[in-house]
Amino acid sequence: MTYRQVRIIGGRGPGPDQFETLLSGLAVGPKDELLVAADGQVRVFDPAGRLLRRWKTEKAGYCVAVESDGTVWVGQAGQIEKFDSGGKRIDTWKDTTRLGLVTSIGFIDHSVLVADSDDRCIRCYTSGGVWQNDIGKKNNTRGFILPNGHLDFAIDAGGVIHACHPGKHRVERYTRDGLLLGHFGRFGMAKPEDFPGCCNPTNLALSPQGDVIVTEKAPPRMKVYNGRGELQAWVGPEAFDPNGKNNDVVVDSRRRIYVADTPRLRVVMFEPEGAAPAGTRPATTRESVGR
Amino acid sequence: MSDRSTRRELLGHCARGVGLVAIGGTGVYLGRRAAAQGLWQIDPERCINIRLGATGIEACDKCATTCVLALSAVRAVNEFSRCGRCCICPAYFDVTSEVGSDGLPKGKLCPRDAIERKPIGLVDPSDPLNNFYEYVIDEQKCNGCGKCVLACKEPAGLGSIRLEVRHDLCLNCNRCSIALACPEEAFAQREIRTT
Repeated sequence: MTYRQVRIIGGRGPGPDQFETLLSGLAVGPKDELLVAADGQVRVFDPAGRLLRRWKTEKAGYCVAVESDGTVWVGQAGQIEKFDSGGKRIDTWKDTTRLGLVTSIGFIDHSVLVADSDDRCIRCYTSGGVWQNDIGKKNNTRGFILPNGHLDFAIDAGGVIHACHPGKHRVERYTRDGLLLGHFGRFGMAKPEDFPGCCNPTNLALSPQGDVIVTEKAPPRMKVYNGRGELQAWVGPEAFDPNGKNNDVVVDSRRRIYVADTPRLRVVMFEPEGAAPAGTRPATTRESVGR
Repeated sequence: MSDRSTRRELLGHCARGVGLVAIGGTGVYLGRRAAAQGLWQIDPERCINIRLGATGIEACDKCATTCVLALSAVRAVNEFSRCGRCCICPAYFDVTSEVGSDGLPKGKLCPRDAIERKPIGLVDPSDPLNNFYEYVIDEQKCNGCGKCVLACKEPAGLGSIRLEVRHDLCLNCNRCSIALACPEEAFAQREIRTT
């Protein structure tokens, strides 16, 4: 399988559909719209890259997530803001002891899972905001090893949590109770299926079809694995800025993948080769890598 | 008549006094300037091994190879407060070398083996990756070649390692050979101001 780059959304600039300083979090809504947390705002784009709406957040958002009912959650430093789908603030969660830097949010049944990159774990809350348990703390290092300072996870249809563990060069799977079910990945610079450098992968997304999509830094790449951890495709590093780090990634219902290119302040959209053309700039970007 | 003479004398005294103060002040200024101690420093905004944004390059080793001392006065320093204590540190391991059965690269990056790697706390026997590691640079071995600095730089690492001039070793030459060789003009003499 190969992916082609079909569209670039945003870019550096003062326009309403551009970004000026900080591009951090992505999410895909129920109708495949793209939500972007950047510059202390949430911007909503349609798959064609047109800005639909935007609104300000109280603090800079480091991640954004959308519930099935359209509620938008924005993770920030020390708090989480909730908005309805139109951008009206519904609630703000503050937990001075358990919410550090919130870099990922997910949902299982009536629970809300929050990645706290400061304390290097995933917090599990009830939908009402009551803390229940932590995930990833029961090990020798008392949390995920995050030299890159960023923890990302996603939840599959079966309720299994897939989390990046960059310090171990793995993708790990956990139950909601924190039980480690398994992992795939290992360190390596020569083979594209391995994870290079000090700490990769940095970000992760799950497609409805069961693909595990990750991004890496130094060199920046986007890679697609199947559910068994076998590499299916990869893109990069030429598609992204070489100084990129913690580039968020999301995938929509049609397997279209969006990757945040943080230094260039833009979102790059890819789709599988053979899919119906969705853009105006097709270009195959798959290539082998190695140093 | 005597009043005029007195006024002229007074003005003359004042002019001589002002002249003496000006000459004395100029002398003091020139003396202080001559005695000012400039020290050679590395500008992190210019050094290609340290500055952010310079990626995909070879490490510059001019600090190691051009100093007049047998072992350069420049050393790599690991700032522990910024170090990620990675299991696979790209400044310690040659990450491009073959991976061993333990999952770690077989080669080391430092050509002088000047970095020591120690686990922090007990090593989990079932999974050595379950640990943080401390990296200490042996200043008796380090020659400031900059390889570890470049490897640890963002975004590959955390940028916790930098190059510093050891002033107890530096001869503070007027025409520093490192400064002459530095391709980025990052090696410069800075005046040290004391308050």
